[in-house]
Amino acid sequence: MKKILFLLLLLLASPVWAVEELHMFNWNDYISTDVVADFEQTYNCKVVQDYYSGTEEMMAKLLAGASGYDLVIPTQNAVQALIQQGFLEKLDKGALANLKNLDPAFLNRSYDPGNIYSLPYAYTTTLIGFNEQRLKEQGIEPTSWAVIFDPAVLAKIKGKVTVMDDADELFGAALKYLGYSVNDVDEKHLREAQAVIIKAKPYWAAFNSSSYIKELTVGNIWVAHGYSSDMVQARNDALAAKRNFMVNFILPKEGAILALDNMVIPQAARNKKLAHLFIDFLLDGKNAAGLSNDVGAGNPNKAALPFINADLKELTAIFPDQQTLATLETLEATNAKVRRLKNTLWTEIKLQ
Amino acid sequence: MQGKAWSKYLLSLPPLTYLLVFFAVPTFIMLFASFRYAGEYGGLAPWYLHEHGRLSLELTLENWQRLVGTDIYLRLFAKSISYAVITTVLCLVMAFPLALVIARSGHRYRDLLLLLVILPFWSNFLVRIYAWMIIFSPVGALTRMINALLDLVGAGPITLMYSPTAVIVCLVYVHLPFMVLPLYANLEKHDPALLDAAQDLGAGQWRRFWLITWPLALPGITAGSILVFIPVLGMFAVPDLLGGTTGIMIGNVIKQQFMESRDWPFGSVLSMVLTATAVAVVLLGVRLGQGRKGRG
Repeated sequence: MKKILFLLLLLLASPVWAVEELHMFNWNDYISTDVVADFEQTYNCKVVQDYYSGTEEMMAKLLAGASGYDLVIPTQNAVQALIQQGFLEKLDKGALANLKNLDPAFLNRSYDPGNIYSLPYAYTTTLIGFNEQRLKEQGIEPTSWAVIFDPAVLAKIKGKVTVMDDADELFGAALKYLGYSVNDVDEKHLREAQAVIIKAKPYWAAFNSSSYIKELTVGNIWVAHGYSSDMVQARNDALAAKRNFMVNFILPKEGAILALDNMVIPQAARNKKLAHLFIDFLLDGKNAAGLSNDVGAGNPNKAALPFINADLKELTAIFPDQQTLATLETLEATNAKVRRLKNTLWTEIKLQ
Repeated sequence: MQGKAWSKYLLSLPPLTYLLVFFAVPTFIMLFASFRYAGEYGGLAPWYLHEHGRLSLELTLENWQRLVGTDIYLRLFAKSISYAVITTVLCLVMAFPLALVIARSGHRYRDLLLLLVILPFWSNFLVRIYAWMIIFSPVGALTRMINALLDLVGAGPITLMYSPTAVIVCLVYVHLPFMVLPLYANLEKHDPALLDAAQDLGAGQWRRFWLITWPLALPGITAGSILVFIPVLGMFAVPDLLGGTTGIMIGNVIKQQFMESRDWPFGSVLSMVLTATAVAVVLLGVRLGQGRKGRG
């Protein structure tokens, strides 16, 4: 009995020993666990992570009043919308000694001029991941969006393809395939993109934004539309599992969406001081390199470059050169009317 | 006696208020929201504007017009209702014999069997769906076994994952206990003397079932069907994960309005229609149950 009482007391007393907590809201699989562990040890705190798999999902949660996050990692178009909503805290640059490490090419962008509220974290492209052996067997050479949109190509890999369950990403890819801008809001062009998607849909296995890394690695799926960082992980996982195939990825020649992700602190954050400490920690060159080495993301941090694995730096899909960069576009924030139009088109697609 | 009735109402007041307030208030909020404009970044736009000293209402019928302006939403409702009907019927067909066995088994086994029925609830709903994703996986043992058998008879391979069939199998699995439990509660109360009497009077097995067990079980069948039909109608997680490109249900589109599109007014319109459908089904179910009783 005494023992039980003692245990109960221990349970009750545990909050006394609780360390400081940092609540982070981030894309799934988008941080180096080693770097997080280092930070927790250095500052004797705990990083509590929550994940999201789509910008719209994250925005919906934040705007519906989800609070308690100290640090959020949104993509550029979401940063713009969050600033306009008055949701973000101005960053205290004085507390960020490692600010100088950032590549000026990624600073002072139109979504947050002067980087008053946000600092670049990492970038990804949306591209095509594929099973090298299986596609070779079918005689398919993936170079263009045709591999997910052209029925003639898809006929050979029916049921082995997934695309993202995200209207902006999929319309973006289809618009690029047609030669338009990913930010095109002309209803005629969007309808053309919808027609492309509807024609290709019977050949797809699923709309999947969350588990395509696993599906590619296991070999269930041969072609997946998804984020570059996820494809690097799928490639590494397949290698580690010693599969009899390789997962590879390409940036389609028509161009694709570039997503520049940022670190922001919500106004409602409870632990702004710790959030600033973490941002500064992540801006350190060696720590920032973890995002590329462990996660496969592109890096806006100059000081990180020497620490990044050489084979990763060579990949234009991850670190695009000037020529590739010219084909990439970032998504802009959309208004209610465009969102409604896109959703109607999207629902029509889903119901076909 | 009067004092007793009074205290009965007093006791039931808190749960009654609780249920009413948390059903009625959100329903009215949604009804109101369905006539408003969507906010530019999500949420709702203000419902009145104060301009030049004049008050103007910012309400609209366009959300409802969008519902009836095309047939896709009606088709989606029809599809969801058909999924819900199929799931309910399958649950009923599978649950009835099971509930009967449990109700007629000895007290020693009854509790154990009931425990086994609710055992799956001990693991999280999503974990159970993910388990089905592994079972249905194209490289999983089940699919490979079925395809090996199909290959023997010369038929082409099939995929289990990402299909309406996968959605229905999982929906039935998840909702089966909701059918078994009310049916069991009902069947257990049946007086076995009735069946004995019918047998003595020469009624065969089927006649005994149709004339005695079935009519007496109707309240349990109604309760179980409602408990299965309504949650299935609004389901979004199962079609999201197992439905592939064709398994979408109305719940997915409602979720889309509140999440991806941040279009609360239209999401409210769809939710109101869903609620109305559910209420209509309950009323119909209660009506049917009573009608049969009257005739029997």
